[in-house]
Amino acid sequence: MKRNPVDLLLQLAFLEGEITTHGLYEKVAAKRKPPQRSAETVKLALLQQLEIALAGATEKDLFPLTVGAYLCRMREERSLRPQEVSSRIGVPSNIYKMMEHDRISPLKISIDAWRKLRKLFQVPKDALEAMIRRTHQLVYFQASFRTTLARYDGRKKREIKAATLKKATEELFARAALPLPPKEQLKLSKLLDALKEDSQDLSAGDSPSE
Amino acid sequence: MLRASNQQIVRELKEGDQRGCRHLIDAYQDRLLGEAVHVFQVPFLDAEELVSDVLLTVVHKIGTFQFKRSDGDFHYWVMTIFRNRVRDFMRHRALTEGLQVHFDEAALEDDELYSSAEREVVRIVIGRYEDSLRSPDSENERVGGGNAGKLQIVVQALEQLETWERVLLRCRALEIPYEEIAQYTGKSAKQLKVYHARVKKKFLKLLAERVPEASVR
Repeated sequence: MKRNPVDLLLQLAFLEGEITTHGLYEKVAAKRKPPQRSAETVKLALLQQLEIALAGATEKDLFPLTVGAYLCRMREERSLRPQEVSSRIGVPSNIYKMMEHDRISPLKISIDAWRKLRKLFQVPKDALEAMIRRTHQLVYFQASFRTTLARYDGRKKREIKAATLKKATEELFARAALPLPPKEQLKLSKLLDALKEDSQDLSAGDSPSE
Repeated sequence: MLRASNQQIVRELKEGDQRGCRHLIDAYQDRLLGEAVHVFQVPFLDAEELVSDVLLTVVHKIGTFQFKRSDGDFHYWVMTIFRNRVRDFMRHRALTEGLQVHFDEAALEDDELYSSAEREVVRIVIGRYEDSLRSPDSENERVGGGNAGKLQIVVQALEQLETWERVLLRCRALEIPYEEIAQYTGKSAKQLKVYHARVKKKFLKLLAERVPEASVR
Protein backbone atom coordinates (compact mmCIF):
# COMPACT_ATOMS: atom_id res chain seq x y z
CA MET A 1 0.00 0.00 0.00
CA LYS A 2 1.41 3.42 -0.98
CA ARG A 3 1.22 6.41 1.29
CA ASN A 4 -1.23 9.15 0.51
CA PRO A 5 0.55 12.56 0.39
CA VAL A 6 -1.88 14.22 2.80
CA ASP A 7 -1.61 11.31 5.22
CA LEU A 8 2.18 11.54 5.05
CA LEU A 9 2.06 15.21 6.02
CA LEU A 10 -0.31 14.53 8.90
CA GLN A 11 1.77 11.57 10.08
CA LEU A 12 4.88 13.75 10.13
CA ALA A 13 3.02 16.38 12.15
CA PHE A 14 1.85 13.65 14.55
CA LEU A 15 5.36 12.19 14.93
CA GLU A 16 6.84 15.63 15.52
CA GLY A 17 4.25 16.27 18.24
CA GLU A 18 2.51 19.08 16.34
CA ILE A 19 -0.86 17.32 16.34
CA THR A 20 -2.35 14.72 18.66
CA THR A 21 -5.18 12.21 18.71
CA HIS A 22 -5.55 12.57 22.50
CA GLY A 23 -4.61 8.94 23.08
CA LEU A 24 -7.01 7.50 20.51
CA TYR A 25 -4.22 6.18 18.30
CA GLU A 26 -2.57 4.42 21.24
CA LYS A 27 -5.94 2.99 22.30
CA VAL A 28 -6.64 1.63 18.83
CA ALA A 29 -3.09 0.28 18.49
CA ALA A 30 -3.62 -1.74 21.68
CA LYS A 31 -6.73 -3.35 20.22
CA ARG A 32 -5.44 -4.02 16.68
CA LYS A 33 -4.49 -7.58 15.92
CA PRO A 34 -0.88 -7.76 14.67
CA PRO A 35 -1.06 -8.48 10.94
CA GLN A 36 2.51 -9.71 10.76
CA ARG A 37 4.65 -11.90 12.94
CA SER A 38 8.37 -11.81 13.38
CA ALA A 39 10.30 -14.99 12.64
CA GLU A 40 11.04 -17.19 15.66
CA THR A 41 14.79 -16.72 15.12
CA VAL A 42 14.39 -12.93 15.29
CA LYS A 43 12.36 -13.29 18.48
CA LEU A 44 15.05 -15.49 20.04
CA ALA A 45 17.84 -13.08 19.08
CA LEU A 46 15.86 -10.20 20.57
CA LEU A 47 15.15 -12.20 23.72
CA GLN A 48 18.89 -12.75 24.21
CA GLN A 49 19.59 -9.04 23.69
CA LEU A 50 16.91 -8.06 26.19
CA GLU A 51 18.14 -10.56 28.78
CA ILE A 52 21.68 -9.22 28.52
CA ALA A 53 20.40 -5.64 28.76
CA LEU A 54 18.25 -6.52 31.77
CA ALA A 55 21.15 -8.23 33.56
CA GLY A 56 23.34 -5.17 32.90
CA ALA A 57 20.67 -2.76 34.10
CA THR A 58 20.08 -4.76 37.29
CA GLU A 59 23.78 -4.92 38.10
CA LYS A 60 24.13 -1.19 37.52
CA ASP A 61 21.19 -0.59 39.85
CA LEU A 62 22.73 -2.73 42.59
CA PHE A 63 26.25 -1.37 42.38
CA PRO A 64 26.81 2.16 41.15
CA LEU A 65 29.95 3.23 39.36
CA THR A 66 31.89 4.72 42.25
CA VAL A 67 32.50 4.15 45.94
CA GLY A 68 31.03 7.58 46.73
CA ALA A 69 27.72 6.89 45.02
CA TYR A 70 27.54 3.47 46.72
CA LEU A 71 28.24 4.89 50.18
CA CYS A 72 25.62 7.61 49.75
CA ARG A 73 22.98 5.10 48.70
CA MET A 74 23.72 2.54 51.39
CA ARG A 75 23.81 5.20 54.10
CA GLU A 76 20.45 6.54 52.95
CA GLU A 77 18.92 3.06 52.76
CA ARG A 78 19.97 2.28 56.31
CA SER A 79 19.21 5.77 57.62
CA LEU A 80 22.71 6.28 58.95
CA ARG A 81 24.45 9.58 59.57
CA PRO A 82 27.88 10.17 57.96
CA GLN A 83 29.49 10.27 61.42
CA GLU A 84 28.08 6.86 62.27
CA VAL A 85 29.52 5.26 59.14
CA SER A 86 32.86 7.02 59.49
CA SER A 87 33.27 5.85 63.08
CA ARG A 88 32.24 2.30 62.19
CA ILE A 89 34.78 2.02 59.39
CA GLY A 90 37.39 3.93 61.35
CA VAL A 91 38.10 6.96 59.20
CA PRO A 92 37.91 10.64 60.24
CA SER A 93 34.60 12.25 59.26
CA ASN A 94 36.21 14.76 56.88
CA ILE A 95 37.90 11.91 55.01
CA TYR A 96 34.60 10.03 54.93
CA LYS A 97 32.87 13.07 53.37
CA MET A 98 35.59 13.16 50.71
CA MET A 99 34.95 9.47 50.08
CA GLU A 100 31.25 10.12 49.55
CA HIS A 101 32.05 12.85 47.04
CA ASP A 102 34.70 10.75 45.27
CA ARG A 103 37.29 13.37 46.09
CA ILE A 104 39.88 11.07 47.61
CA SER A 105 41.70 8.17 46.02
CA PRO A 106 40.79 4.77 47.48
CA LEU A 107 44.54 4.20 47.82
CA LYS A 108 44.62 6.74 50.64
CA ILE A 109 42.13 4.73 52.68
CA SER A 110 43.62 2.00 54.87
CA ILE A 111 43.02 -1.64 54.08
CA ASP A 112 41.54 -1.98 57.53
CA ALA A 113 38.87 0.62 56.68
CA TRP A 114 37.99 -1.18 53.46
CA ARG A 115 37.71 -4.43 55.40
CA LYS A 116 35.31 -2.84 57.88
CA LEU A 117 33.31 -1.27 55.07
CA ARG A 118 32.93 -4.63 53.36
CA LYS A 119 31.68 -6.19 56.55
CA LEU A 120 29.35 -3.32 57.33
CA PHE A 121 27.54 -3.28 53.99
CA GLN A 122 28.14 -6.90 52.99
CA VAL A 123 29.43 -5.78 49.62
CA PRO A 124 30.69 -8.59 47.35
CA LYS A 125 34.42 -8.66 46.66
CA ASP A 126 34.15 -8.22 42.87
CA ALA A 127 31.74 -5.31 43.13
CA LEU A 128 33.94 -3.51 45.65
CA GLU A 129 37.04 -4.10 43.54
CA ALA A 130 35.33 -2.69 40.46
CA MET A 131 34.11 0.36 42.37
CA ILE A 132 37.56 0.99 43.85
CA ARG A 133 39.18 0.68 40.43
CA ARG A 134 36.76 3.15 38.83
CA THR A 135 36.92 5.61 41.73
CA HIS A 136 40.71 5.65 41.66
CA GLN A 137 40.69 6.25 37.92
CA LEU A 138 38.15 9.04 38.35
CA VAL A 139 40.12 10.76 41.12
CA TYR A 140 43.40 10.35 39.26
CA PHE A 141 42.06 11.99 36.09
CA GLN A 142 39.86 14.50 37.93
CA ALA A 143 42.28 17.39 37.55
CA SER A 144 42.38 17.05 33.78
CA PHE A 145 38.59 16.58 33.72
CA ARG A 146 38.26 19.91 35.53
CA THR A 147 40.53 21.65 33.05
CA THR A 148 38.51 20.29 30.15
CA LEU A 149 35.21 21.32 31.70
CA ALA A 150 36.57 24.76 32.59
CA ARG A 151 37.46 25.29 28.95
CA TYR A 152 33.87 24.44 28.06
CA ASP A 153 32.43 26.73 30.76
CA GLY A 154 34.40 29.68 29.46
CA ARG A 155 32.53 29.79 26.13
CA LYS A 156 29.80 32.35 25.96
CA LYS A 157 28.16 31.89 22.58
CA ARG A 158 25.55 29.14 22.51
CA GLU A 159 26.67 27.40 19.31
CA ILE A 160 30.34 27.49 20.34
CA LYS A 161 29.36 26.19 23.78
CA ALA A 162 27.48 23.24 22.28
CA ALA A 163 30.35 22.39 19.94
CA THR A 164 32.87 22.65 22.79
CA LEU A 165 30.70 20.48 25.02
CA LYS A 166 30.73 17.77 22.38
CA LYS A 167 34.50 18.03 22.13
CA ALA A 168 34.85 18.02 25.92
CA THR A 169 32.69 14.90 26.21
CA GLU A 170 34.78 13.09 23.63
CA GLU A 171 37.94 14.14 25.43
CA LEU A 172 36.62 12.98 28.80
CA PHE A 173 35.63 9.62 27.38
CA ALA A 174 39.03 9.21 25.78
CA ARG A 175 40.77 10.04 29.05
CA ALA A 176 38.56 7.76 31.10
CA ALA A 177 39.63 4.88 28.89
CA LEU A 178 43.32 5.67 29.39
CA PRO A 179 45.31 3.15 31.37
CA LEU A 180 46.73 4.41 34.64
CA PRO A 181 50.50 5.04 34.77
CA PRO A 182 52.41 1.89 35.87
CA LYS A 183 53.22 3.33 39.30
CA GLU A 184 49.56 4.06 40.05
CA GLN A 185 48.51 0.72 38.64
CA LEU A 186 50.97 -1.03 40.95
CA LYS A 187 49.61 0.77 44.01
CA LEU A 188 46.06 -0.10 43.05
CA SER A 189 46.94 -3.75 42.45
CA LYS A 190 48.54 -3.92 45.91
CA LEU A 191 45.38 -2.63 47.54
CA LEU A 192 43.18 -5.00 45.57
CA ASP A 193 45.45 -7.96 46.35
CA ALA A 194 45.25 -7.12 50.02
CA LEU A 195 41.48 -7.04 49.76
CA LYS A 196 41.50 -10.39 47.97
CA GLU A 197 43.57 -11.99 50.74
CA ASP A 198 41.18 -10.50 53.20
CA SER A 199 38.18 -11.99 51.41
CA GLN A 200 39.85 -15.43 51.42
CA ASP A 201 40.30 -15.10 55.17
CA LEU A 202 36.67 -14.20 55.50
CA SER A 203 35.45 -17.12 53.46
CA ALA A 204 37.76 -19.42 55.46
CA GLY A 205 35.82 -18.89 58.60
CA ASP A 206 35.41 -15.33 59.78
CA SER A 207 31.87 -14.25 60.33
CA PRO A 208 30.98 -11.46 57.88
CA SER A 209 28.93 -9.58 60.42
CA GLU A 210 30.48 -7.72 63.28
CA MET B 1 -1.82 -18.85 26.03
CA LEU B 2 -2.86 -16.04 28.36
CA ARG B 3 -0.77 -12.89 27.91
CA ALA B 4 0.96 -11.36 30.92
CA SER B 5 -0.53 -8.09 32.14
CA ASN B 6 1.42 -4.86 31.90
CA GLN B 7 1.67 -4.80 35.71
CA GLN B 8 3.28 -8.23 35.66
CA ILE B 9 5.73 -7.31 32.88
CA VAL B 10 6.83 -4.16 34.72
CA ARG B 11 7.19 -6.01 38.04
CA GLU B 12 9.28 -8.76 36.46
CA LEU B 13 11.53 -6.35 34.60
CA LYS B 14 12.05 -4.19 37.68
CA GLU B 15 12.98 -7.26 39.72
CA GLY B 16 15.43 -8.37 37.04
CA ASP B 17 13.34 -11.49 36.31
CA GLN B 18 14.26 -12.76 32.82
CA ARG B 19 10.69 -13.97 32.20
CA GLY B 20 9.74 -10.31 31.89
CA CYS B 21 11.72 -10.12 28.62
CA ARG B 22 9.75 -13.00 27.10
CA HIS B 23 6.46 -11.47 28.23
CA LEU B 24 7.47 -8.08 26.84
CA ILE B 25 8.24 -9.62 23.45
CA ASP B 26 4.98 -11.59 23.42
CA ALA B 27 2.95 -8.52 24.25
CA TYR B 28 4.61 -5.90 22.09
CA GLN B 29 6.93 -7.12 19.34
CA ASP B 30 4.37 -8.14 16.70
CA ARG B 31 2.02 -5.32 17.62
CA LEU B 32 4.67 -2.62 17.16
CA LEU B 33 5.96 -4.32 14.02
CA GLY B 34 2.45 -4.17 12.54
CA GLU B 35 2.11 -0.48 13.42
CA ALA B 36 5.50 0.40 11.92
CA VAL B 37 4.92 -1.50 8.67
CA HIS B 38 1.24 -0.83 8.04
CA VAL B 39 0.65 2.60 9.52
CA PHE B 40 4.00 4.31 9.00
CA GLN B 41 5.12 2.31 5.96
CA VAL B 42 8.52 1.43 7.41
CA PRO B 43 10.15 -1.37 5.35
CA PHE B 44 9.86 -4.73 7.14
CA LEU B 45 13.55 -5.23 7.96
CA ASP B 46 13.94 -1.66 9.20
CA ALA B 47 10.77 -2.09 11.23
CA GLU B 48 12.16 -5.21 12.94
CA GLU B 49 15.27 -3.28 13.90
CA LEU B 50 13.22 -0.32 15.07
CA VAL B 51 11.02 -2.51 17.29
CA SER B 52 14.08 -4.21 18.82
CA ASP B 53 15.43 -0.77 19.59
CA VAL B 54 12.16 0.25 21.25
CA LEU B 55 12.06 -2.86 23.46
CA LEU B 56 15.73 -2.45 24.42
CA THR B 57 14.99 1.13 25.47
CA VAL B 58 12.05 -0.14 27.54
CA VAL B 59 14.37 -2.56 29.40
CA HIS B 60 17.06 0.08 29.91
CA LYS B 61 14.64 2.71 31.21
CA ILE B 62 12.25 0.49 33.15
CA GLY B 63 13.66 1.86 36.40
CA THR B 64 12.25 5.29 35.58
CA PHE B 65 8.72 4.06 34.77
CA GLN B 66 5.92 4.24 37.31
CA PHE B 67 2.21 3.46 37.06
CA LYS B 68 0.15 6.54 37.82
CA ARG B 69 -3.41 5.71 36.87
CA SER B 70 -3.93 2.30 35.35
CA ASP B 71 -2.43 -0.77 33.72
CA GLY B 72 -2.59 1.10 30.40
CA ASP B 73 0.08 3.59 31.50
CA PHE B 74 2.78 1.16 30.45
CA HIS B 75 1.26 0.75 26.99
CA TYR B 76 1.18 4.53 26.49
CA TRP B 77 4.78 4.76 27.67
CA VAL B 78 5.91 2.07 25.20
CA MET B 79 3.94 3.77 22.42
CA THR B 80 5.66 7.08 23.18
CA ILE B 81 9.07 5.44 22.84
CA PHE B 82 7.85 3.78 19.63
CA ARG B 83 6.61 7.09 18.22
CA ASN B 84 9.95 8.76 18.96
CA ARG B 85 11.83 5.96 17.19
CA VAL B 86 9.58 6.19 14.12
CA ARG B 87 10.11 9.96 14.09
CA ASP B 88 13.89 9.41 14.17
CA PHE B 89 13.54 6.93 11.31
CA MET B 90 11.53 9.44 9.25
CA ARG B 91 14.04 12.20 9.94
CA HIS B 92 16.87 9.92 8.90
CA ARG B 93 15.01 8.96 5.73
CA ALA B 94 14.32 12.63 4.99
CA LEU B 95 18.02 13.41 5.33
CA THR B 96 19.27 10.48 3.25
CA GLU B 97 16.97 9.39 0.42
CA GLY B 98 14.37 12.14 0.99
CA LEU B 99 10.66 11.80 1.73
CA GLN B 100 9.73 13.08 -1.73
CA VAL B 101 10.52 9.71 -3.27
CA HIS B 102 7.88 8.01 -1.15
CA PHE B 103 5.41 10.80 -1.65
CA ASP B 104 5.91 10.88 -5.44
CA GLU B 105 5.08 7.21 -5.77
CA ALA B 106 1.90 7.73 -3.82
CA ALA B 107 1.01 10.88 -5.75
CA LEU B 108 1.19 9.03 -9.05
CA GLU B 109 -1.20 6.49 -7.69
CA ASP B 110 -3.63 9.22 -6.70
CA ASP B 111 -3.16 11.05 -9.99
CA GLU B 112 -6.85 11.50 -10.66
CA LEU B 113 -7.62 12.59 -7.14
CA TYR B 114 -5.07 15.41 -6.86
CA SER B 115 -4.21 18.11 -9.34
CA SER B 116 -0.59 18.83 -10.14
CA ALA B 117 -0.78 22.13 -8.19
CA GLU B 118 -2.10 20.31 -5.13
CA ARG B 119 0.72 17.81 -5.36
CA GLU B 120 3.09 20.74 -5.66
CA VAL B 121 1.81 22.19 -2.35
CA VAL B 122 2.54 18.96 -0.49
CA ARG B 123 5.91 18.70 -2.19
CA ILE B 124 6.85 22.21 -1.05
CA VAL B 125 5.78 21.59 2.56
CA ILE B 126 7.72 18.32 2.70
CA GLY B 127 10.68 20.04 1.06
CA ARG B 128 10.61 22.74 3.73
CA TYR B 129 10.53 20.07 6.43
CA GLU B 130 13.55 18.34 4.89
CA ASP B 131 15.40 21.65 4.69
CA SER B 132 14.66 22.35 8.33
CA LEU B 133 16.27 19.03 9.24
CA ARG B 134 19.37 19.90 7.27
CA SER B 135 19.79 23.33 8.80
CA PRO B 136 17.70 23.95 11.90
CA ASP B 137 17.48 27.75 12.04
CA SER B 138 17.74 29.82 15.16
CA GLU B 139 14.08 30.88 15.02
CA ASN B 140 12.87 27.33 15.37
CA GLU B 141 15.27 26.68 18.21
CA ARG B 142 14.11 29.83 19.96
CA VAL B 143 10.44 28.85 19.96
CA GLY B 144 11.45 25.37 21.06
CA GLY B 145 9.83 23.80 18.05
CA GLY B 146 13.03 22.44 16.56
CA ASN B 147 12.32 20.80 13.22
CA ALA B 148 8.65 20.48 13.98
CA GLY B 149 8.25 24.25 13.61
CA LYS B 150 8.26 23.80 9.84
CA LEU B 151 5.04 21.79 10.10
CA GLN B 152 3.19 24.62 11.85
CA ILE B 153 1.65 25.36 8.48
CA VAL B 154 -0.13 21.98 8.62
CA VAL B 155 -1.50 22.78 12.07
CA GLN B 156 -2.71 26.20 10.91
CA ALA B 157 -4.53 24.70 7.91
CA LEU B 158 -6.10 22.04 10.15
CA GLU B 159 -7.37 24.71 12.52
CA GLN B 160 -9.39 26.24 9.69
CA LEU B 161 -11.40 23.02 9.37
CA GLU B 162 -14.44 22.08 11.43
CA THR B 163 -13.73 19.97 14.50
CA TRP B 164 -15.13 16.73 13.06
CA GLU B 165 -13.16 17.25 9.84
CA ARG B 166 -9.98 17.76 11.84
CA VAL B 167 -10.59 14.61 13.86
CA LEU B 168 -11.35 12.64 10.70
CA LEU B 169 -8.14 13.69 8.94
CA ARG B 170 -5.86 13.21 11.92
CA CYS B 171 -7.28 9.82 12.80
CA ARG B 172 -7.45 8.41 9.28
CA ALA B 173 -3.80 9.33 8.71
CA LEU B 174 -3.06 6.85 11.51
CA GLU B 175 -5.41 4.19 10.14
CA ILE B 176 -7.91 4.52 12.96
CA PRO B 177 -11.10 2.77 11.77
CA TYR B 178 -14.06 4.92 10.69
CA GLU B 179 -16.24 3.15 13.28
CA GLU B 180 -13.95 4.35 16.06
CA ILE B 181 -13.83 7.92 14.71
CA ALA B 182 -17.63 7.95 14.39
CA GLN B 183 -17.91 7.78 18.18
CA TYR B 184 -16.19 11.14 18.51
CA THR B 185 -17.64 13.05 15.58
CA GLY B 186 -21.40 12.47 15.72
CA LYS B 187 -21.35 11.22 12.13
CA SER B 188 -21.80 7.65 10.97
CA ALA B 189 -18.87 5.60 9.71
CA LYS B 190 -20.50 5.50 6.27
CA GLN B 191 -20.78 9.31 6.13
CA LEU B 192 -17.18 9.71 7.24
CA LYS B 193 -16.01 7.34 4.52
CA VAL B 194 -17.76 9.48 1.90
CA TYR B 195 -16.55 12.80 3.34
CA HIS B 196 -12.94 11.75 3.79
CA ALA B 197 -11.74 12.50 0.25
CA ARG B 198 -13.61 15.83 0.20
CA VAL B 199 -12.15 16.92 3.50
CA LYS B 200 -8.68 16.09 2.22
CA LYS B 201 -9.28 18.30 -0.80
CA LYS B 202 -10.49 21.11 1.45
CA PHE B 203 -7.43 20.74 3.64
CA LEU B 204 -5.11 20.92 0.64
CA LYS B 205 -6.82 24.11 -0.51
CA LEU B 206 -6.30 25.69 2.91
CA LEU B 207 -2.71 24.53 2.89
CA ALA B 208 -2.15 26.05 -0.54
CA GLU B 209 -3.31 29.45 0.74
CA ARG B 210 -0.37 29.36 3.09
CA VAL B 211 2.12 28.37 0.41
CA PRO B 212 2.48 31.33 -1.93
CA GLU B 213 4.91 29.44 -4.18
CA ALA B 214 2.11 27.15 -5.38
CA SER B 215 -1.29 28.01 -6.82
CA VAL B 216 -4.21 25.60 -6.64
CA ARG B 217 -6.41 25.38 -9.64
